[in-house]
Amino acid sequence: MSFVQNFPFFSIILAMFSGIVSSVLKGKKARVLSICAIAATMVLSAAVLAYCAATGESYVYWMGHFPAPWGNEIRAGVLEGLTALLFSAIMLLSVIGGVKYTQTDVEPSKQNLFYILIDLMLSSLLALVYTNDLFTAYVFVEINTIAGCGLIMITQTGRSLTAAIRYMVMSSLGSGLFLIGLSLLYDVTGQLLMSPAQEAVGEIVESGQYEIPLLVIVAVVSVGLAIKSGLFPFHYWIPDTYGYATPTASAILSGLVSKGYIFLLIKFYYRVLSPESVVRSHIGNVLFLFGVAGMMLGSLRAIMQTDTRKMIAYSSVAQIGYIYMGIGLGTPEGMIAAVFHIFSHGATKALLFLSARGLYRVSGDRTDFLALRGSGYRNRLAGVGFLVGSLSMVGFPMLSGFISKLLFATSAMASPGKMLTTLIALAVSTVLNAVYFLRLLTGLYRPARSGAYDAGAGPDGAAGERVNAPGFRVAVLCLIAFNLILGLFSQPIVRAITEGLAMFS
Amino acid sequence: MFLLLPVFFPLAAGAAMLLAGRRMGKSRALLNGFFLAAQALETVFTILAAALGGDVTLLSLTGNLTMGLRVDGVGRFFGVLTAVMWFLTAVYAVSYLKEDGHAAGFYGFYLMVPGALIGLDLAADALTFYVFFELMTLTSLPLVLHERTKEAVRAGLKYLFYSVGGAFLALFGIFYLAQAAGSLTFLPGGYFTAASAASAPLLLPAALCMIVGFGAKAGMFPLHGWLPVAHPAAPAPASAVLSGVITKAGVLAILRSIYDLIGPAALRGTWVQSAWLILSLLTVFLGSMLAYREPVFKKRLAYSTVSQVSYVLFGLGLMDPLGFTGALAHVAFHSVIKTGLFLFAGAVIRSTGRTRAEEFQGLGRIMPVSLGAYTAASLALIGIPPASGFISKWYLAQGALASGTGVFRYLGPAVLLISALLTAGYLLPPVIAGFFPGKEPEGPALISGEKPPAMMALPILLLGAAAVLLGCFPGPLLGWIGRLAEAGIVG
Repeated sequence: MSFVQNFPFFSIILAMFSGIVSSVLKGKKARVLSICAIAATMVLSAAVLAYCAATGESYVYWMGHFPAPWGNEIRAGVLEGLTALLFSAIMLLSVIGGVKYTQTDVEPSKQNLFYILIDLMLSSLLALVYTNDLFTAYVFVEINTIAGCGLIMITQTGRSLTAAIRYMVMSSLGSGLFLIGLSLLYDVTGQLLMSPAQEAVGEIVESGQYEIPLLVIVAVVSVGLAIKSGLFPFHYWIPDTYGYATPTASAILSGLVSKGYIFLLIKFYYRVLSPESVVRSHIGNVLFLFGVAGMMLGSLRAIMQTDTRKMIAYSSVAQIGYIYMGIGLGTPEGMIAAVFHIFSHGATKALLFLSARGLYRVSGDRTDFLALRGSGYRNRLAGVGFLVGSLSMVGFPMLSGFISKLLFATSAMASPGKMLTTLIALAVSTVLNAVYFLRLLTGLYRPARSGAYDAGAGPDGAAGERVNAPGFRVAVLCLIAFNLILGLFSQPIVRAITEGLAMFS
Repeated sequence: MFLLLPVFFPLAAGAAMLLAGRRMGKSRALLNGFFLAAQALETVFTILAAALGGDVTLLSLTGNLTMGLRVDGVGRFFGVLTAVMWFLTAVYAVSYLKEDGHAAGFYGFYLMVPGALIGLDLAADALTFYVFFELMTLTSLPLVLHERTKEAVRAGLKYLFYSVGGAFLALFGIFYLAQAAGSLTFLPGGYFTAASAASAPLLLPAALCMIVGFGAKAGMFPLHGWLPVAHPAAPAPASAVLSGVITKAGVLAILRSIYDLIGPAALRGTWVQSAWLILSLLTVFLGSMLAYREPVFKKRLAYSTVSQVSYVLFGLGLMDPLGFTGALAHVAFHSVIKTGLFLFAGAVIRSTGRTRAEEFQGLGRIMPVSLGAYTAASLALIGIPPASGFISKWYLAQGALASGTGVFRYLGPAVLLISALLTAGYLLPPVIAGFFPGKEPEGPALISGEKPPAMMALPILLLGAAAVLLGCFPGPLLGWIGRLAEAGIVG
């Protein structure tokens, strides 16, 4: 056994322990520890990815060396490594970029709490990515929910408290359904580890028994995780949650947390059921339908907003719809497109949330379109970041969003029954995205009414630079570069996703 | 590798101008010098690239989709035309924006757009083409927004939405073709024949999407709405290139997607061809009619562009060598003429402040040379021999008669004739009022103002002269275009 094989376990434990240690640290030290932990995780995940890519196969890691059915298992392959790497990279940039805003949004005595929550969030996300064991997954789903709630309400404003409660209710409902699904599965198969469960499911399907319970399991787990990731029509918690949290939290919640659940769902489909039985259960069609509806209605709601925060949040609803549409296509190509969009949207949303906050800052902390007029001149870097993020969301070529759309469209071609719906949905939603993002962008570069913001930062750029903390600058630039890399050199990543999905089954 | 220069040099030069412009702005001579030098270099690079030829693969995006540049006949034709028009307008722009404090911003984006345009002309595949198409929209948008007034912003938004919406509509077709044709590299004659088109059920709708979507840029009905709004709001040099050059990018887009991607053989005689011809003829008539009724001079010219560019689309839609020759000839002629007309409109605004066509009484006294050039260009656009418009319209009519497209064989030339009559009706009254105001003019008072500076008059004069001379000596140009039409482009 190679030493690298320990790394997934190390990274989960590292993140968890830094959370525990942070509880006795002051805010600043907790922050440094947290950033170091995320960076270390990134390196470890990169090593895992390199190892799996080099050996060309995945491996299962027993925690505590108990054999099935009692043990806890971790599984690492190319896709897990890649996801962990990109998740921790996006998380690192979100945290670094939002340091200054975290300081202002979170009261000093709660600073270390914020970073504890970040650490817990990281460890639970990594666990969701790596787990090979449904019960471990459930435990970390709960940890994730709690950390998520904490991140939302740590700003302690009225809106964020109600948002957190709403999030908790919806999330608990989702985890509850997931748990029921697990219990049923355990009833039927007697297994909680993914690989033996898959064998058992295969046998049951062949014997023709328990058809309805299996269908219920698929439905309950899918709906549970769909609620947690905010698929339409379970999206009502999204706008407030993403809108009123501090930018780091918004970026992580929107870019990563909902994607963690989707990743778990994909894993459930591939590792516990099998792609064939998923197709047979027609759950894909349901997800497809709701995904498409989410794409449309999310965008329409986004168009109706005049508050930038809510607009970006509703755009997340639409983007989650894209991912579920890809999963719902029920083909390997659709799944590849969905996984790629997980990364692409994660990077883009983090960029949007961070740079939008940079724009609010130079607009008297107001967030409506009118106040943001001309803010692209007052804070140039944030303006450029928002520009790149929006164009990527709309699907301009050379940026990551375009590749997502390209992959979705080409995968649609391979699934005849859904081809026309997918293409039309893509076309309409692209135009809708263009409407609200481009409208806002034109506003950003339209001079403000004279005299509105003379005091803050002049249009000469010098004052505009100073409003951005160094961390913010680094994060926004890295995220822009990240977007361009995904847009220009998507091939290796797509290849890695393909390989990783092949390793799943 | 030389091909990269005309594409990326202007982007770099424009970015440099945007970054350093504020500092350079203090010394106007330096700013103008840099601008003109960069523009001249770009023109030289383009012509050299067109002469040298070659091809470059930029990167491979996913699996079988690569991006690259290469020189071919059509690309060479559009590239040289773009570069020459862009340079002449740049000379004019320096003088037009003399008093403008924000000129550096305009210059910066003005420098960048030809990078995107040459990229379009030299694109070797639909993906590269699409990238540069969007880049063109984004870089040309600030030209429309330049005045920053409420109208300018509204016009800019309208321009953006029509362009982006059209491009995304066309993107649907590109996505479909990527799968159905297996490749997006432009192939003279296209990937489909009449027989193989039957195996691709969505080919015809995809083709129509591309025609209508890219048609937005060319001002084809039903997506023509941005032209009459964007042109009056933009500064004159921007309107000139928007009308004279950028609408031609829409033409090129349709040409590439039909002739080099789908294949004219697959579309000949289908309902898509009929729809295309109906839309273009409708636009020809509608544009002329709206122009005839429009009193604001720049808006009138914009409607005229709507009408004239659809002449070109009609010619392409015939899928006939003669029609194709007429279409490409009209691209060149209309580009020369309409650039000249818009530059003239700008000169009138700068000299006298008048924007409405019925207020041009006595203009001939102030700017006789420019008005003369305008007259020449107008006659050329109407199609009075021996000026240039006659040649292209002759070929278009011949092509229509020879094309075997049923009722369009007769309907086409008839609509072209009616539209020519309307063209005379909307272009000539300013000439009459300008040169012959009468002793006691009715309506608005005689115009007054200063003579336009030589830097502004010279490009107008050159373009007006070219509009006539190209018609007198059309041999070399027609020979070139005829070879393009024969070179396997029309199957």
